[in-house]
Amino acid sequence: MGSAIALRDVVKTFGDHRAVDSVTFDVPQGEIFGLLGPNGAGKSTTIRMIMDIIRPDSGSVEVLGKPAAQSVRRHVGYLPEERGLYKKMKVLDVLEFQGSLTGASPRDARVEAKLWLEKLEIADWADKKVEELSKGMSQKIQFAAAVLGKPAVLILDEPFSGMDPVNQNLFKDRMETAERLCKEIALINKGQLVLSGPLAKVKAGFGKNSILLEYEGDGGFLPSIPGVARVDAYGSYSEIRLEPGADPQGVLHAVAARLKVSKFEIVAPTLHNIFIEKVGATGVPVLERVGDA
Amino acid sequence: MHNILMIVRREYLERVKKKSFWIGTAVFPVLMGGLIFVSIFAAAVETEKQRTIAIVDATGAIAKEAATKLEAEKMKDGRSKWVVEVVPVAGGIDATRESLKPRILSKEIFGVVTVGPDIESDKNFGFYGLNVSDISATMDIRGALHDAVVAKRLAASDLKIDAETLNKMTKSIDLVTYQESATGGATKKGFEQALFATFAFVILLFMSLLLYGIAVLRGVLEEKSNRIIELLLGSVTPTELMTGKILGIGSVGLTQMVIYMATGGLLRVYAMARMSGGDTAWIQDALSMRKLVFFVVFFLLGYFFYTGLFAAVGAVCNSEQEAQNMQQPLTFALMIPYILTFFFIKNPDHIAAVLMSLFPPFTPILMFTRLSVGEVPTWQLVTGLVLLIGSTWLVFRAAGKVFRIGILMYGKRPTVPEILRWARS
Repeated sequence: MGSAIALRDVVKTFGDHRAVDSVTFDVPQGEIFGLLGPNGAGKSTTIRMIMDIIRPDSGSVEVLGKPAAQSVRRHVGYLPEERGLYKKMKVLDVLEFQGSLTGASPRDARVEAKLWLEKLEIADWADKKVEELSKGMSQKIQFAAAVLGKPAVLILDEPFSGMDPVNQNLFKDRMETAERLCKEIALINKGQLVLSGPLAKVKAGFGKNSILLEYEGDGGFLPSIPGVARVDAYGSYSEIRLEPGADPQGVLHAVAARLKVSKFEIVAPTLHNIFIEKVGATGVPVLERVGDA
Repeated sequence: MHNILMIVRREYLERVKKKSFWIGTAVFPVLMGGLIFVSIFAAAVETEKQRTIAIVDATGAIAKEAATKLEAEKMKDGRSKWVVEVVPVAGGIDATRESLKPRILSKEIFGVVTVGPDIESDKNFGFYGLNVSDISATMDIRGALHDAVVAKRLAASDLKIDAETLNKMTKSIDLVTYQESATGGATKKGFEQALFATFAFVILLFMSLLLYGIAVLRGVLEEKSNRIIELLLGSVTPTELMTGKILGIGSVGLTQMVIYMATGGLLRVYAMARMSGGDTAWIQDALSMRKLVFFVVFFLLGYFFYTGLFAAVGAVCNSEQEAQNMQQPLTFALMIPYILTFFFIKNPDHIAAVLMSLFPPFTPILMFTRLSVGEVPTWQLVTGLVLLIGSTWLVFRAAGKVFRIGILMYGKRPTVPEILRWARS
């Protein structure tokens, strides 16, 4: 089976700023794919090039085996990062319009729109104007607009922005979401591809050198244990990253001596830690998701 | 193609479904129709009213003669148009007139005519009334007094001519103005009517071009500022979007124009049924088929010339305020020919009028003005149309490029040199 999306040496420059620098990756069909990177890494620019909204300076973008310009508007559903709807229109009319742009007749688009409104449990709002909707409700409508017409590929740019509660661990949460959802990822930073591939393989490359620790007591001493590279505290548990070659048994002894341990598990590092190790903890990185329906 | 149609459909339905569209559509014909109806009814009512006037004659020799003349004027039903009271002078002319004032104010009498003692002096004759702008009434009175004075002079002279012979000899002639046209026969036409008819259409053309241009601009701006654009660009190309939007809003404009023209046609039929002969000629001319067709043609051409530019302005702006500044040049480009109409309506063939009507941004309004008040040589009309259509094509291409780039730019508004560079790219 060919790739849903294939990027080859894609470059895009805005003035002096190289927003995307020779990025190459493949999104396999039938999988959820995560495009990850900090703010300003070039994620949205990459997605806009996939959507043929802007053209790359060089390199190629293929969607479903064809140049993006030929296939993307018919076969790809798109939820942009910057998204809005006609405020004065009624919800059902907006969806009918968006659906009709996928090639359906207005009548068919309306039928499908009604189904989605029911599925998303907002059928009561069909005749309300968009400007009367709450933000979360608008998000549902925008999502419905993206999936109308049964696209072969679905691209969601920051699908969870605006849905999250205010949360300073936003990034960690997103990385956890990505870890749960995505089978494949690509990580970009400063316009360049850092790594890409199936999540399991990416993790295996880093080895099983992390410890997931659940405990009671004051864990402030954890970073000073010999062999510990860094500690991330998540409230009820901590993730301990070991130095290469360090012995987990030694750490277990040191921990057991001072804390009441309820769980001690040797695991692969989380995506969050892989990310920090690769690009450093600068900025608040954000998740993008490229899904394949 | 499907996408363009869907965009046209949305633009059309969303606008036509609004109440404001129908209110806006109704205002102009109601205003213009109202004006015509009022003048028709006023004319009809006026002719049916018998009026009484008083004559205060210091000479004692004019009033009777003038009264005879006035009473000879008949209304449609055969009754006399005027009833004349000859009031004897009591305590001077002014005092006599003053004593009649309450009757003028109560509208019992239409007015008082005063005749001073010396018929050869200036300001010897006066008319005092509430309504002094009724030209046909003052013409009647003036004519009657004039005839009476001439009769008196004649009697005082050595000439042996009786009044009847004199009437025959001095009978005034009636000058009717006709407009020559290459296509049809000569049309009877007065200058004021030509002015009225042309202005009404030019105002409508100017307003429509401006309002629909701004509608396109605001539509683009709405999509940009509400971030609708990216969602749309996932399904349509910017060219499809711009084309669909302009065609959709243009269809709304065309709908409105067709409503206007149909109203105009009905008015014409109505006016012809209500009024007789000479009176309807100007309405027939004002609402001629030729004029209505040219109007729609120049509306459409003007619309396409200007809306590409309005769309481009909408695409490079981020807010209403920015757009208001940026659209100024376009508004001026529309206003200049509109104002020039006031000058060119009297001299539609002046060299300045000819040249400016061939300048594409001015062609829709000025060429229509010239066609409306007179004849335009075919070569000028064809040249004007070719230049307008050709430049519309060029403007559209350049505006399309600016639109495609501008629509995705947020933040700082690009400078004019930057925009021009995009347009040429």
